[in-house]
Amino acid sequence: MQMNKLRGKSMSILLTSVLSLTLLAGCGGNSNSANKENAAVKESNNGGNTAKSTNVGTEEKTGLDTSKKVELQFYMLGDAPKDLSSIEAEINKMAEEDLNATVKFNYTTWTDWDQKYKLLLSSGQSIDLIFTADWTQYQAYAKKGAFLAIDDLLPTAAPTLQQFVPQDMWEAVKINGKIYTVPATYKEYVTNGFVWREDLRKKYNLPQPTDLASYEAYMEGIKKNEPKMLPLSLNSNVRENLHDAYTSLNAMVGGPLPYGIGIKYSDPSKAYQYWGSDEHKEELLTMRRWQEKGLISKNVLNVKDTIQDPLIVGKAATIFADNPTRFNDTLMKLKAAHPDWELGYYPYGKMIGYATPVHPIHNGFSIPKNSKNPERALAFYEKMVMDKRYNQLTQYGVEGKNYKVDADGYYELIGDASKNGFTREGMNGWAWRNPEFMIFDKSYDGVKEIFAELDKIQKPDIFTGFAEDYTSYQAEKAALEQVEKQYLYPLQAGLVEDVDAGIVTFMEKAKQAGLEKIQTEYIKQWNAYVQEKGL
Amino acid sequence: MQIQKDKYTRMLHAIAYVVIIGLSVACLLPFLLIISASLTSNESIIRDGYHLIPKQFSLEGYKTVFIFPDEVLRAYTVTIISTVVGTTLGLFFMTMAGYVLARKDFKYRNTFSFYIYFTTLFGGGLVPWYIMITKYLGLLDSYAVLVLPGLMTPFLIILMKNFIKSAVPEELFDSGKIDGAGDFRIYWQIVLKLSMPGIATVGLFLALYYWNDWFTSSLFINDTHKYQLQFYLYNVINSAQFIAQMGAGTGVSLATEVPAESTKMAMAIVVTGPILFLYPFVQRYFVKGLTIGAVKG
Repeated sequence: MQMNKLRGKSMSILLTSVLSLTLLAGCGGNSNSANKENAAVKESNNGGNTAKSTNVGTEEKTGLDTSKKVELQFYMLGDAPKDLSSIEAEINKMAEEDLNATVKFNYTTWTDWDQKYKLLLSSGQSIDLIFTADWTQYQAYAKKGAFLAIDDLLPTAAPTLQQFVPQDMWEAVKINGKIYTVPATYKEYVTNGFVWREDLRKKYNLPQPTDLASYEAYMEGIKKNEPKMLPLSLNSNVRENLHDAYTSLNAMVGGPLPYGIGIKYSDPSKAYQYWGSDEHKEELLTMRRWQEKGLISKNVLNVKDTIQDPLIVGKAATIFADNPTRFNDTLMKLKAAHPDWELGYYPYGKMIGYATPVHPIHNGFSIPKNSKNPERALAFYEKMVMDKRYNQLTQYGVEGKNYKVDADGYYELIGDASKNGFTREGMNGWAWRNPEFMIFDKSYDGVKEIFAELDKIQKPDIFTGFAEDYTSYQAEKAALEQVEKQYLYPLQAGLVEDVDAGIVTFMEKAKQAGLEKIQTEYIKQWNAYVQEKGL
Repeated sequence: MQIQKDKYTRMLHAIAYVVIIGLSVACLLPFLLIISASLTSNESIIRDGYHLIPKQFSLEGYKTVFIFPDEVLRAYTVTIISTVVGTTLGLFFMTMAGYVLARKDFKYRNTFSFYIYFTTLFGGGLVPWYIMITKYLGLLDSYAVLVLPGLMTPFLIILMKNFIKSAVPEELFDSGKIDGAGDFRIYWQIVLKLSMPGIATVGLFLALYYWNDWFTSSLFINDTHKYQLQFYLYNVINSAQFIAQMGAGTGVSLATEVPAESTKMAMAIVVTGPILFLYPFVQRYFVKGLTIGAVKG
């Protein structure tokens, strides 16, 4: 009896200790294995380097060793076009001849792409080329060492591509002094502008939106004359549709700034606290006024639709902010459905005096550190950009089957988009666009016009090159996001009656979440970046 | 006394009916909304919102879905095959595991039980799982990955083991042995026959798992031809949502056609339809098997 009891006790102690041990192991396991992996990667990188240098030594003249046949794994975001397999076969025929390599095009789909992207890069799977952009967190991944630095590879594997991309672009994509991505050279603007129903403006003789006041006046006119219509098309993402637009109208620097930080384009070295400032209060009061006037719908935080659709079917009259390309899309769809309606566009750039073309980081391709054939991958990517056959095949499909080029050199889709297996840029190949080979749809002329206008006032994007490192305040960041959704969104949508009290509550909660720590650290990093770039 | 009890029962019944009717309406209404929306013209959905009776009747949504019937059909085939294969193989393995663990003369059964039970408490998490399947097993983009991960569910093995333990008297093993049956024969001819309700339950759990599975496709399948039905639908709906989210900042213009609201709804109906008809027929076994398993477990 005694024995049994004792045994039972010791068993339970043993069990608990085993369990707690495994718990600890479970927690620590990740970092451990990650470290090991890193070490392994370092080793293999070193191995790769030495192998490469011997390669360079022995094959300086040919540049690239193509004696062994390889299959490259190519990863893109989004959904694959239906005709992908035939395009892939066609590309492979050429690539096998040119580089003794075949390629497999893989797509993540838009469903949970960010999670998949993370898994692809963290699992150590062998991937040779992957899409990068500021919105896929290129900077953060590069900083963490997910990609291979290609500085030394470029001259041997892709010399023409290296020449083709301007030097300042190579400079701009550098993270910690190394190049981790091949930037796209096509220049575009994703800066915002007002979108409105021009036919209604003419009909009721309303002012043309050129600044915040005239925009508001236009919306009031719509509200008065078309009471059934929503003046402003919004969805639950008020941060992007209202706040970011409002601040970019106030000449904030480049991309949407996180954590309530304010940085003016004219004075980048002075990062300040935007939340709680008078400027912030003015923004929220403006939104409150719009809400009171009935310009913002009351259930805005529950709307999940796109903001463009209501405009196309005539439910709403304006979009606060949209970029030229998407404005053009909306215009085309609107024209197709209602030929007598018109749409106006006024880029913010004309009001604030400058517009920034997309940063070279915005579209690019990297070689993940686990690539087995980085050289061949880069050489293949060079073909994708620089070889007209590769480029046009992957951007537009098969000429005569998927598209045709008309007498004026315009792109024309054969049949309609739902039946054609490869629409324009159907492979989502924004990164390997080559301005010299691009064929545009006739409808794109409008965008080009806007771009030409913005070219006159262009200034470089000084924000996107900044790589934020949030490892030291990850927990606070998550907590703050929650607070933002709960307390700031209603304020931003003008749904809180007492704006002053709303700000006080929000700031209190934000501070509890660790706002000060985040801001201090962020501003410290930003200042270092400003110093480094000499802004 | 009698009357009072009746009153009480009647009241209980009344409350139960009200609650159940309320619940079923709550379950049915969204579905009716989807049906109605799938029959409404897209423009009307955006302008007027969802209504129980279509404001502007249109079959456009269904027409769009069936422009590419081959894609939907292919996804159907993948799901059906993976469900059938997965359920059959899974049942085979799990009954076998359950049988072995239920035999008292199996020396290491506690060790093995603990080993299986342990995995329900502690898992490695998503990333190690992903690495395991892609790097070490090399199952990326294969049909096998749709079937294999679900074959041995610890919970179902334990359920099976408990069921066999209670349904098959131990003496049967001995008597089978005396009559000259080998272990496999005992399993195949005695244990399986006696644990049919348990098998039905576990089989249904499994079949539902395979039919509803979208996560595996989402993680491990790149080839559109190998998508499961649920993921196919999920993906179609999500693409549209993604584009709504991407907002003005990125300037990503997607050349591919975004399915309109009515199309999404029509697709939902097409995808859920068959299982809706199947469910009532299978459900009675489901309930029976579950209770039998539960009482003894």
